[in-house]
Amino acid sequence: MAKEVKERNWEPKIVAFVCNWCTYVGADAAGTSRMQYAPNVRIIRFPCTGRIDPLFIIRAFQQGVDGVIVSGCHPGDCHYVSGNLLARRRWIVFRKFMDFIGLDLRRLHFAWVSATEGAKWAKLVNEIVEEVRSAGPAPAWAFPTNGATVLETSLPEVGLPPSPPVEMTAQIREIAKRLLGTGEVGVVVGYEMATGAREGEATPTFVNKPEDADRLVFNERCVHNLAVYLTNPLVKKFGKVGIVAKGCDIRSIVGLIQENQIKREDVSIIGVVCNGVVVNGKLAEKCVNCQVKVPHLYDHLVGDPSWAQSPSGENPLDAQIADLESLSPEERWNFWMPQFARCIRCYACRAVCPLCYCQPCIAEKHRPQWIPTSPHPHGNLAWNIIRAWHLAGRCIGCGECARACPVNIRLDLLNRKLALEVERAFGYRPGFDPSAPTPLSTYRPDDKEDFIR
Amino acid sequence: MRKGERKMMTSVAIGVAAPRETVKVTRNIYKPHLMTIVWMRDETHDTRTLRLQFKDPKVAETFDWKPGQFAQYSVFGVGECVFTIANSPTRKGYIECTFRQVGKVTSALRDMEVGQTIGFRGPYGNWFPVDEWEGKRLYFVGGGIGTVALRGVMQYCLDNRKRYGEILILNAARTVADLVYKSEMEEWASVDGVTLVKAVDPGGETPDWDGKVGLAPNVFEELKPTPDNAVLITCGPPIMIRFMLLAAERLGFKPEQVYTTLENRMKCGLGKCGRCNVGPYYVCKDGPVFTAAQLAKLPKDF
Amino acid sequence: MQRKRLTSENLKRWVDALIASERRVIAPVHEAGLTVFRPIQSSDEIAPNYTKSDLPFKEWLFPPTEVILCYRIEDGEPVLEDPEVDSTETVALFLRPCDAAAISILDKVFGGDYEDEFYLTRRRRLTIVGLSCTEPQPECFCTSVGLSPTSEQGSDVLLTRIGNDFLVEALTEKGEQLLNESADLFVDAGDLTKEQVTAEAVAKMRRPEPLPNFSDTYAEIFEHPVWEEVARKCLGCGVCAYSCPTCHCYDIVDEATLFEGVRCRNWDCCAFALFTLHASGHNPRPTQAHRYRQRVLHKFAYFLQTYGQNMCVGCGRCIIKCPVGMDIYEIVQRVGEQLAKV
Repeated sequence: MAKEVKERNWEPKIVAFVCNWCTYVGADAAGTSRMQYAPNVRIIRFPCTGRIDPLFIIRAFQQGVDGVIVSGCHPGDCHYVSGNLLARRRWIVFRKFMDFIGLDLRRLHFAWVSATEGAKWAKLVNEIVEEVRSAGPAPAWAFPTNGATVLETSLPEVGLPPSPPVEMTAQIREIAKRLLGTGEVGVVVGYEMATGAREGEATPTFVNKPEDADRLVFNERCVHNLAVYLTNPLVKKFGKVGIVAKGCDIRSIVGLIQENQIKREDVSIIGVVCNGVVVNGKLAEKCVNCQVKVPHLYDHLVGDPSWAQSPSGENPLDAQIADLESLSPEERWNFWMPQFARCIRCYACRAVCPLCYCQPCIAEKHRPQWIPTSPHPHGNLAWNIIRAWHLAGRCIGCGECARACPVNIRLDLLNRKLALEVERAFGYRPGFDPSAPTPLSTYRPDDKEDFIR
Repeated sequence: MRKGERKMMTSVAIGVAAPRETVKVTRNIYKPHLMTIVWMRDETHDTRTLRLQFKDPKVAETFDWKPGQFAQYSVFGVGECVFTIANSPTRKGYIECTFRQVGKVTSALRDMEVGQTIGFRGPYGNWFPVDEWEGKRLYFVGGGIGTVALRGVMQYCLDNRKRYGEILILNAARTVADLVYKSEMEEWASVDGVTLVKAVDPGGETPDWDGKVGLAPNVFEELKPTPDNAVLITCGPPIMIRFMLLAAERLGFKPEQVYTTLENRMKCGLGKCGRCNVGPYYVCKDGPVFTAAQLAKLPKDF
Repeated sequence: MQRKRLTSENLKRWVDALIASERRVIAPVHEAGLTVFRPIQSSDEIAPNYTKSDLPFKEWLFPPTEVILCYRIEDGEPVLEDPEVDSTETVALFLRPCDAAAISILDKVFGGDYEDEFYLTRRRRLTIVGLSCTEPQPECFCTSVGLSPTSEQGSDVLLTRIGNDFLVEALTEKGEQLLNESADLFVDAGDLTKEQVTAEAVAKMRRPEPLPNFSDTYAEIFEHPVWEEVARKCLGCGVCAYSCPTCHCYDIVDEATLFEGVRCRNWDCCAFALFTLHASGHNPRPTQAHRYRQRVLHKFAYFLQTYGQNMCVGCGRCIIKCPVGMDIYEIVQRVGEQLAKV
């Protein structure tokens, strides 16, 4: 009886993140003008929409709201000139991301409301409250509503890649010996064959003496993205670093240069021509549609560019993403929530990623604790969403995070979705131009805003 | 976290539904006592002493500890923090702790007012072997906030004055402002057979300073302490302890005659969570009190 | 203690009988591409071709996150409440001898002076049916840490496949009781022994030599450059600790609103950079070399000194799960080699 009464009496609880200069004043104007409108919205005031981190939106849902409104000054009117234009960039991508996770978009709204638009604010709130009412109470955050959706995309078979010619290994060793012998680099980061229980696999290695360079190899088992070691203090202490890098790894290196984590002159890139690596006996998904089989940035080139083959097919992640997008939001939610529930917060995804170099990581900040450290479902959801979000426009799709995950979470799908949205919206692909501004730190006056009221 | 989600959080394993049968935990080793803050005093701009009283009168009557032991103090909703129990068990009925505001929990603790409630879990750890020191000369040398770790055992020895020989207390700090327990030093000095020396680092004195000026180990050496039938108890920042141990050696103190108390990052406080693990020991169980002899055997991992 | 013989058919019947009894039966199943221990409703759910679980059994005794204290604010004052803990009578099936031994190692940690009721409530109601190994995997090295493919440590009942049948050994009273409840399914073992099966399994181990330990010698190797050499590859994630059946370090955090909150205990890992960071900013283990040294010495020196056994059962999960292929067996050998030269 009590439960029914509770459900009959349910009123949408909505939080609005608004900017101080426009929407807050507009909402105030609605009040002073005695406009009647739905009381379901709690307003949180920010100096500017530019300050609104998607993290806050996630926290709001985690704390039980049924809907979120984000509103600020019209483009061109921002008190801080461009805060809202940068925010708009974020919203374009974030909204699509939330839809992909399975959030009902009736719960997430964006608007421009100026200081004089009290009537617009009142009308907006009334409309949004009804939309959220039609969506019903928000499902328990981070729990599936009904079982687990299984993704069964049928993918075309792709053959194994050809083994790199043995000359490439000899070339790498020779280059390493030269670089170390002349003292041009202090260490070469490359691959060697593992001994022990991982025999038959390649593994990262660090060579700092020319006579040890014969450890280095390159073959189709060299799956790791070694760029992660370029920000590692135990490697940097050797001085300039030589690094054996496939085209994908070089895209990560470009990202690090772009973001001022390393200087171009502090790294000597030994770029290798690569036709793909093998993971679990098959061509890695990241390699199927690879566009950088011939390195696009290097100091030394290993291998013959004419050996590079054309891509084997379309990116298999795209087909899987399309399948997910053909499902209803609730089915997508039931795909992702069981995945994140499995997360044990080992942070292997973060540890292998060359672009996760922040110290401290947002998950490690505890004043305030934005992301709960506990591996319960909503803590995990916050972590995985925010990590993917922080890599939006930066992740180059090396797939290491998904490979490293001990509980098989489809992190590769999350990151690829964000990369696709950034490319569609802004025409930007990360990892090619070290001098390009990163997509979310800039804006264009004509960024599409058809979803903003 | 919404009401009712707490049950969902009591998960047994990853992604698995709630268990069929559950039982309330009865002897919960992580459950703190509730304490009321009854009094506070600022020692320095960032260090404060709190006096706490058990809310449960039965616990207040029976709670006992030994000098040198520590406890986990909780600010509910924020976290727990380790401080030594800064008063002697000869002064029962309340617990005192002195803490410096450095992080999340200590900042929240500093925001609390007299009358508010915090949690208290303890006593944990080993203690100063005050029975073995009977009849001995005692030298207490505290540097900065290190003096906090010594106050409990100092009070014990002062309260049991007849059991011990001459007592020297050297309370040192970087500057006058950093000296803790300024208001208590007179009380200590007034006890028969107790010499109180206060010292600040060169440059840390004020124009009206009437104590010594110099680094604590140097000041200590100049006081010409004797290792005969004596015990040296010292605590302070790691660099001070290092130089104190060297000074003690120079003065002829054997490593078994020198005691210190360590701190290390802790969580459970009872030897399970692994955080304060140093070599085969847990600072929370096998320490925090160590002799210089034991310290020499510890790997440099703290 | 009883020694019985069980046919393969009767093994299935026995599992079904256990499920039909009031107990929760946990067994290895396939889920999301992983082999994990989960409660089963039928013996058909058991993972075929089961070798070793991906995640260790410890999550059923020591979950990745659990609430250890609850409180709510009433009239401005905190009111504390003890949480509920799982007390379901449970049988765990087919833990490998390494995993069963790991449980007895965890028993030492969570018992002792301060009895952790969260672990022990579950532990007391758990009966472990171990399953000996006949096909060691390439990463296995239980014999190098004092165990064997047919070790009895930790199991209440140990099954060993010999031909088409199983030797069933009740090793504890709990195990006896379990067998007595289904006595009709077992026949006397007669002269069935596991000696030959054990010898055959040990012969298949790729790395059977004992590993050195450092409980008396760690001081000599503590500051050696070998640690940086072996740890440079380490990325500082927690996969090794979280897939390890003996690792047990945990964090305690509060999560709260203005009106109520919980204190949680979460898995933690000594490889994380913040594990030993003091609020003052001092970090006793500032580099990955320091942290990896701690991992190795905790397992192969300190724990051994305190509890008499390596904190490693040779399951090899850390080796196969490590994103960069670090092999603790090789590393311990390498450290041992360097120690010999000191």
